[in-house]
Amino acid sequence: MLEIKNVSKTYGNGSSSVGALRNISLQIDDGDFVAITGPSGSGKSTLLSVIGGLEKVSAGEVILDGRRIDNMSEKELVEIRRKKVAYVFQQYHLIPSLTALENVLLPLTFGGLDVGGKKRAATMLQEVGLEKRAKHKPGQLSGGEQQRVAIARALVNGCSLILADEPTGNVDQKTGVDILRLFRKANEDGHTIIMVTHSPEIARRGKRIVTLRDGEIVDQLDQDGCERPSGKEGFIP
Amino acid sequence: MFTALGVAIGVAAVVAVLTVANAGEKRIYSEIDKYGPNMMITPAINDLDLKLGDLRLGSLAVGNNYIAQEKVSEVRQITDGAIREALGIQDQEDIATIAPKLYVDATVNGTSVMVVGFDPQQERAIKSWWDISRGRYPEQQDEALLGDRASSALSVGAGDRIGINGEGLTVVGVLQETGSQDDYQVFAPLGTVQKAFEKEGLISSIDIRALCSACPVESIADSINKSIPGVRAVAVQQIAESEMNLVMKVNRFMLVLAAITLVVGAFAVVSTMMSSVHERTKDIGIMKAVGASRGQIVRMFVYEAVAVGFLGGILGYVSGTLLSYSLGPLIFDGLAMSYAPQYLLPALGLAIAVAIVASVYPAFRASQVRVAESLRAL
Repeated sequence: MLEIKNVSKTYGNGSSSVGALRNISLQIDDGDFVAITGPSGSGKSTLLSVIGGLEKVSAGEVILDGRRIDNMSEKELVEIRRKKVAYVFQQYHLIPSLTALENVLLPLTFGGLDVGGKKRAATMLQEVGLEKRAKHKPGQLSGGEQQRVAIARALVNGCSLILADEPTGNVDQKTGVDILRLFRKANEDGHTIIMVTHSPEIARRGKRIVTLRDGEIVDQLDQDGCERPSGKEGFIP
Repeated sequence: MFTALGVAIGVAAVVAVLTVANAGEKRIYSEIDKYGPNMMITPAINDLDLKLGDLRLGSLAVGNNYIAQEKVSEVRQITDGAIREALGIQDQEDIATIAPKLYVDATVNGTSVMVVGFDPQQERAIKSWWDISRGRYPEQQDEALLGDRASSALSVGAGDRIGINGEGLTVVGVLQETGSQDDYQVFAPLGTVQKAFEKEGLISSIDIRALCSACPVESIADSINKSIPGVRAVAVQQIAESEMNLVMKVNRFMLVLAAITLVVGAFAVVSTMMSSVHERTKDIGIMKAVGASRGQIVRMFVYEAVAVGFLGGILGYVSGTLLSYSLGPLIFDGLAMSYAPQYLLPALGLAIAVAIVASVYPAFRASQVRVAESLRAL
């Protein structure tokens, strides 16, 4: 379970400081699929960075499975990244000199590669439908394929919490649907997913939609299914 | 791969400059050799003042006017030994040029001239300025060489026969005018002159050409004076001093050259390694995001620096050597380059050490940057 308590984040200091997050509190249960949405500059990406320990908070607490991660040392955060939290970025962030399979293997390489690791990485690639592209480098893959490699990389370690920042932001709509389907499947497999998106269409695929504006939560909407028929647009700004 | 190329260029520059300079240094020394003898050995003669009360009775020369020929090999032992010791040379070949001579006043064709018994090979090496104007250089025991003035004074040219003290000789060559006493002399092989004048086993003086940067001629002369009785070895000051000066300057120049190229080469390695790490700041962020620790990242760059340094070092050494082979002859016209294996290990060591320092520091800095920042730095 992830708890965010009264978190604030400001960039800069003094009179020039900018408040990116203002006193945000949020609780996310295991197995949830949360879409964080809002206009650009609303603080949604900052919130995601704070949750994953990529950035420090200015005030408040971030508690993951009973442990505060907002004030963890770099060393403890390395452990968290190896075992609990994985990221999927809008820019994919694959290492260009490594093949698709090697990119998927990367988290295992750093976390200590066990015997089954290589096989698990190959299985992961298969699950995202890229077993034939295992030997290709990111430059030889389309945007959608790169993002699928990134998702396989996020899942390979068995991290319970997947943080995705605009995962469909750089791909066309049809590919975006494919990618969302992968997240949904991961969610069904028990991963908790927190996804940032500016698109209401995409956000509606989540179980829960959190809307931010100017660094504050302005709306929270629980959806009792994953996919909803249209007609609920009124809830989404 | 590109980074290894950058390292290779740095190493190549250093190796090329040092190899060319190394060969050039030898060339400069061989140029200095043309200065002529820098040490002379003469019989030790003591003048004793003869006095009776306040009355001076003149002086008496004590000692021999000749040196025994077997001392030549002792002189060689001491001279070559000193040079070997100073330069750490192992092989037993002759190093110094040692030219013994016997001077005799004689009458040839009714004219009084100085006849010089000499060792043709050694004399030729010591007097690099000698040119033959007519004929050729003597090779046989019964062949003689004439100075330019001696040739005209005696009215004898190449091909003519002369007699010295009853010994018949063929004049095979005449020297071009040198402006020295050589112009007035008749040169014949030492053994022949000794026999003609019944001075077997005797010589008048020895000219020596010995050069090494680490052993001044004065100290060689000192040790000859101490260990061989009956001779007096003296350094020819005007030559010995100016050549030592030159040797010291060449040495200093080499040191400065080596230092500058090392700095420039190291800088080339540093800049390529640093930019290669900077290019991968984003990669470092990605690796941190998927769970790499700072130590793992730094270690990775150390391994890479060792590999790149090794590859670049070897590549640079080979291309630097090739470069020196093509550049060297252009600088010191026609200079034969010698392959310098002593630079291989230092070149590799330098490349690897500099590569490690230059890549680990920026990698360490990059690993300290927070993940979010390094990922944003696109």
